[in-house]
Amino acid sequence: MENEGNGNCSIFGMGIEGSEMNCFFNTNSMDQKDLFESALSSIVSSPSNSHHAVQFPCVGVGGGGESIVLRELIGRLGSICNSSEINGNNSSNNSCYNTPLNSPPKVVNMSITGHHQFPVDPSRFSTFGGKNELSHVIESGKLSRVSSNQSFKKMNKLSMELDESSVSETETGTGNGIGVKGQSNNANGRKRKVVAKGKGKETNAKDDKVVTEVEKEESDAKRSKSNEEKKSNEKSTEPPKDYIHVRARRGQATDSHSLAERVRREKISERMKFLQDLVPGCNKVTGKAVMLDEIINYVQSLQRQVEFLSMKLATVNPRMDASMEALLSKDMFQPQVSMPNIANPFDTSAQSFPYGFQSQLNGMVPDRPENQFSMNPLMAAMHRNSVIKPPHIDGFIEASTLWENDLQSVVKMALGQDQSQGFLGQMKVEL
Amino acid sequence: MHTSSMLKKEFLKKWIKGLQICYSSNKKMDLVERKNKIKLSADIAMASAKKPATCWSNALIFNAKENKQDKVLVSKILEPESQLQKSRDRIMSVNKRVECKKILKRSCNCGKRMKKKDLATLVVAKRLVKKRTKVLKKLVPGGGSIMNELSLIKEALDYILCLKVQVDVMRSVVTAAENTYIYRT
Repeated sequence: MENEGNGNCSIFGMGIEGSEMNCFFNTNSMDQKDLFESALSSIVSSPSNSHHAVQFPCVGVGGGGESIVLRELIGRLGSICNSSEINGNNSSNNSCYNTPLNSPPKVVNMSITGHHQFPVDPSRFSTFGGKNELSHVIESGKLSRVSSNQSFKKMNKLSMELDESSVSETETGTGNGIGVKGQSNNANGRKRKVVAKGKGKETNAKDDKVVTEVEKEESDAKRSKSNEEKKSNEKSTEPPKDYIHVRARRGQATDSHSLAERVRREKISERMKFLQDLVPGCNKVTGKAVMLDEIINYVQSLQRQVEFLSMKLATVNPRMDASMEALLSKDMFQPQVSMPNIANPFDTSAQSFPYGFQSQLNGMVPDRPENQFSMNPLMAAMHRNSVIKPPHIDGFIEASTLWENDLQSVVKMALGQDQSQGFLGQMKVEL
Repeated sequence: MHTSSMLKKEFLKKWIKGLQICYSSNKKMDLVERKNKIKLSADIAMASAKKPATCWSNALIFNAKENKQDKVLVSKILEPESQLQKSRDRIMSVNKRVECKKILKRSCNCGKRMKKKDLATLVVAKRLVKKRTKVLKKLVPGGGSIMNELSLIKEALDYILCLKVQVDVMRSVVTAAENTYIYRT
């Protein structure tokens, strides 16, 4: 009984929504709205709102004046019904589908897009099996719809959009749900009114036949249009956005807070994607927390590596002070950009270093066949390096030039061939 | 790639400079001390090599300067960049001030507005994210002063890049040093 009642209520709610739209377009007055609010809010409390956390105030039903208005709306509903009946159940985009009568299905769809937490699965929707679910959905749909309405124009647009909605909302719903975190209190207030209206209609419903017919129409329309609507819905839920002008997605609040939040969230997800490339083995996007976890792990591991390497260097160092200096000076040669700067100090130090070091290097190169880097590339590199002579080291003695070539080969050992090639190449270029 | 190799060069240059300064002082250092010096010079070198001075790099240098022992070393490494140093110090002092203000503000702030829907999952998810952001703030130098989650992630990514570079260069130097050592013995 209750279910049926809810179903009826929902139908009328839909009808009212549609009629409301007409009223808004024609009269542009809020009087009816208030009437409805008072008349229908009593019904709000009655239906089982287990699926919603939204609670509405309970206000007594109004007097006769309201019933007149309501009857008028029902009449309109009936007329709309007839027109749609005439046009049949084809899935073509007739004008009748743009009538308010068809807004309910969109309202339904809106709801799904708007509330990701709404526990309605698509199967139930497409089959239109449970009136119960429908009512809930419609109610929440109204909520979301109203929340995104800040003006009549928007409502107008929304109704047009709603006409192309689809039944496959849950997917988009979950997608948008993440974006629907911030719904304003202001919108909530409005939601209350609309739902009240929708529910109130039920008590004054007199034309059951019309109701059933309407319901049928909707279900047919829905089923027939589901495929088309799917595509259009997906399209409409991805409006282009940029920094300055952020378009509100369907079923989402349009106040500045939530918009800014959404922009912020999208930026974060952008960064997440960048992180995926950066952090190895981080391909699946599984949520912010997991992402942050990965970042944290990676930072920790890198920091630990730095510690370890510095420790290793510290252990290696004391036993080879001389070679360490040589290593350092060798490394100093690597960034050849700095060479003009340190030319003078090295003039003196070059004297003391190169020969000993040179012999060491010369000895090193041929005597290490077990070197992880193959000899041939090294020799080739050495040849290559001897060919390419930086001009500004003419001031250096020839030994140091030769030393440089050797050093470069050692640099290759140190940095790994691929890296150093680019490295040295870069350095040469800079000269 | 180009920028990373540039960064590598800069970092290496500065690091070598720092190491030389370390070793020029003839006092005997034990292993841990030495390691710390090496690490410090590496970190400072990295932070100063980062040309568009990021938040974490500024914070790193600033914190290092706070420590009196290392102040000399740090200033020596950063010698040719005295101008940059000053701007860094200014920025960091401003950041500290801002951080204090924000902490005060946060303590006075009331709770956020609650949603009407089922909050359980949302709350749990938020808590997780919050926890992790806290940890990340501790890890990234100067992260405590970053309030915006977005910029925190940005800084973290930048920091990861530089850490990678640092690790690569250090590893190569270590292997080179090891090789020469092996050769010698």
